[in-house]
Amino acid sequence: MGVRIKEFRGTSLREEDIRQGRVLSVSYRPKAQYLWSAGVAIGRYLAELKNGRIVGRQCDKCGRTAVPPRMFCEWCFRPNDRWIILKDSGMVNTFSVSYIAADATRITEPLIPAVIQIDGTTGAGMLHLIGQVDPKKVEFGMRVQAIWKPPQERTGSILDIKYFKPAER
Amino acid sequence: MGFAEKIQSPKDITHLEGEIPVNYLYTVGIAGERFLRELKENAKILGIRCSRCRLVHVPPRTYCEQCFERLRDWVELTSEGRIETFTICYFSADGNRLAEPEIIAAVKLNGATSAFVHRIRDANDRDIHIGTDVEAVFKEKGDRVGSFLDIAYFRPSRRVRSESH
Repeated sequence: MGVRIKEFRGTSLREEDIRQGRVLSVSYRPKAQYLWSAGVAIGRYLAELKNGRIVGRQCDKCGRTAVPPRMFCEWCFRPNDRWIILKDSGMVNTFSVSYIAADATRITEPLIPAVIQIDGTTGAGMLHLIGQVDPKKVEFGMRVQAIWKPPQERTGSILDIKYFKPAER
Repeated sequence: MGFAEKIQSPKDITHLEGEIPVNYLYTVGIAGERFLRELKENAKILGIRCSRCRLVHVPPRTYCEQCFERLRDWVELTSEGRIETFTICYFSADGNRLAEPEIIAAVKLNGATSAFVHRIRDANDRDIHIGTDVEAVFKEKGDRVGSFLDIAYFRPSRRVRSESH
């Protein structure tokens, strides 16, 4: 509430007003199930993560390699041309230090989500976490290296990479 | 999967399954509260009259949707009215064929200006047309929970039923 608004108009309800039936209400939970197909490009990307490598798609016209891959170049508006196997290192393009988890609870060890531009690619990059680092030392342009799960624990998921840790140049 | 091979089977493409939790809670509001409590406790249907444009709203609301006047003039209605329009459903909401067709109608109570949607039962198809007189059948008091379905259904009024027999 702002400085001048001391209270909202209307009737405030608390959870127990509803639970104890002091006010009438209707509650239900629609079943919002989904099944998302990763598609050709992301399907291959995830399968290759399980193999322990990062792949991208290269466009011959502009020369750019995209990670995560897609089957077209959105710079040139044309299908791109080939798969490229990339290194599992890169640099921090942008990052955030979050003391709030995905479910909005407070955490003491911060999560450091970052966009990591994989070596050999241009622009943007993959969204992942940075670990094994003092949160105060994370910088734009910092070199990072993927830390993988052991092969038997990989499932074909972006989390087959546990996180990226700072690396020497 | 080899690196140079094309994907031959769609099952090789990764699928993710999930469910988005969507919890829904609707409180019936000030006018709805009084309306439904009266249905539950006394099996009476309340409306509210607009002091400016004279519209009688059933179910009641706190503001007139015609002239935006604040509504305060509660009125008790009879449980009788007429069918304004109707449809006969042979399929349920999820698309399955119903064993017995269900009649859904817009019912306008005597003395009301607005109609609401409810179901018609205990009726011959040939009795159902626009203008048929109907009456509310309430659930037993112990079964009423403060819901619009405390009116179990509407049925053709006694006069309509005796004429068709």
